[in-house]
Amino acid sequence: MSAFFFELGRFSLFFREIWHTLLNTKHNLRPIIAQTSEVTIRSLSTVVFSGFFVGGILVVQFNAVLAQYDAQIFLGGLNTSALIREVGPLIISFLLAGKVGAFTAAELGTMRVTEQIDAIECLGTNPIQYLILPRFFGIVLASMILLSTGLLVSVIGSMGFATALCGLNPLQFAQSIPRFTDITTLLSGFLRAAIYGVIVAGVCCYQGYTATGGAKGVGRAVTRAAIYTNLYIVIANYITGLWIHLLLGESS
Amino acid sequence: MSIRFEAVQKSFGPKHILDGISFEAAPGEILFILGKSGMGKSVTLKHIVGMLKPDSGRVWVEDLSVGDQDAQGLVQVRTLCGMVFQHPALLDSLTIFENIAFGLRRLARLNEAEIDDRVRETLALVHLPESVLQQYPIELSYGMQKRASLARTLAPKPKYLLFDEPTTGLDPVSTQTINQLIFELSRKLKVTSLVVSHDMQCALKIADRILVLDSGKILSLADVKTTVKSKEPLIRSFIEETLNLLAPEERKKLEL
Repeated sequence: MSAFFFELGRFSLFFREIWHTLLNTKHNLRPIIAQTSEVTIRSLSTVVFSGFFVGGILVVQFNAVLAQYDAQIFLGGLNTSALIREVGPLIISFLLAGKVGAFTAAELGTMRVTEQIDAIECLGTNPIQYLILPRFFGIVLASMILLSTGLLVSVIGSMGFATALCGLNPLQFAQSIPRFTDITTLLSGFLRAAIYGVIVAGVCCYQGYTATGGAKGVGRAVTRAAIYTNLYIVIANYITGLWIHLLLGESS
Repeated sequence: MSIRFEAVQKSFGPKHILDGISFEAAPGEILFILGKSGMGKSVTLKHIVGMLKPDSGRVWVEDLSVGDQDAQGLVQVRTLCGMVFQHPALLDSLTIFENIAFGLRRLARLNEAEIDDRVRETLALVHLPESVLQQYPIELSYGMQKRASLARTLAPKPKYLLFDEPTTGLDPVSTQTINQLIFELSRKLKVTSLVVSHDMQCALKIADRILVLDSGKILSLADVKTTVKSKEPLIRSFIEETLNLLAPEERKKLEL
């Protein structure tokens, strides 16, 4: 238990260092934009592909239930609302954790154990500014961009599957969307995506940056990054669900 | 004024790594730091560049107390001290040119043309061809990466060179080349060099003085001839086998 709190303390200090560096250093915008586009481009195809089929799977499941009550006219709204509020942010953050998060942890871990980070420091550069800031904010911003894209594709995918498999036309599908989704639904989706993005970025950067012990150490860092990220996202999902319910009065 | 340790103590958890060590490197000398693994050799070097702070005591680089420096002060310390790591530690995503220029862009106030000149000049010092400048570290052999890493450290023209096991993982020929470079550069550039190494043979050939660390304390700090004649069991264990490997003229030089 004490090890857990020790680790939590170190993580908090690391997080504080990121904000301190952001607020006290200049010329950070360009590397952050470069990293955001790199992460977005690297993950776009995966998110689009998964988003399309996640939307499809969800629509088939909802249809199976709604058909029993002859309520298929609500399929579009129910499906879109679930995608924006819950499934979309969760799936995209899991994808980001698996793809970008693991890559970041491995890259930083390798740099740490091969003394590249020490060398950067010795050459008069703050490694938090040079390595962590662009990666951290790159992942957070990319998660928002990928969420927007992923959600759009999954709604299109849902519509396609609903038309092909459930006997609804696209207009019928779209008609019920405004009844179930409004601005608070979108806000809750984006808030979640941002929080999960912070978790993926923070945990993976921290695990990589603090890796020790050669190749095995890098392996351990990547494993820990994957486990903790998914664990914290699930916990955050529960907590944000309660928050959003209280703040926005929305059923979460 | 040079590098000076004053009663420096450092512990990691319950383990005392440095237990009140004091010494001073003489200007222009090559000082080898020897000791078994985990005896605080690399920790000693990391204190000099401010990557570690002592629990008590002070580390001085000229008139700068390293542990008391803020971020700006540490940049000043790191401008004075260049460190060569056990690994080449070149940044994979940058070309050799960008790697060598990396420190120059941060530690020296030079324009692009001056940076270009300095990179080429430094590359020649470590006997690497200019054709490597546009290559990435992965495209070079390990020995060449080590030399490029040395060039990166030399480029900002530090007054003190710190080598952390510079020949680890190298074949005997590359080891010889790196050792020769340490000697040549220290003499040619008139820098003070602190070398952490297990390579006793090299220490006997190129060191001016040898510092032996044991259990966090300085067991011996003396010139090579005195060290070779030491009766300390740990020092004897270090040099016994090495002495047999020395050429007759090298033995004669050490008055053996």
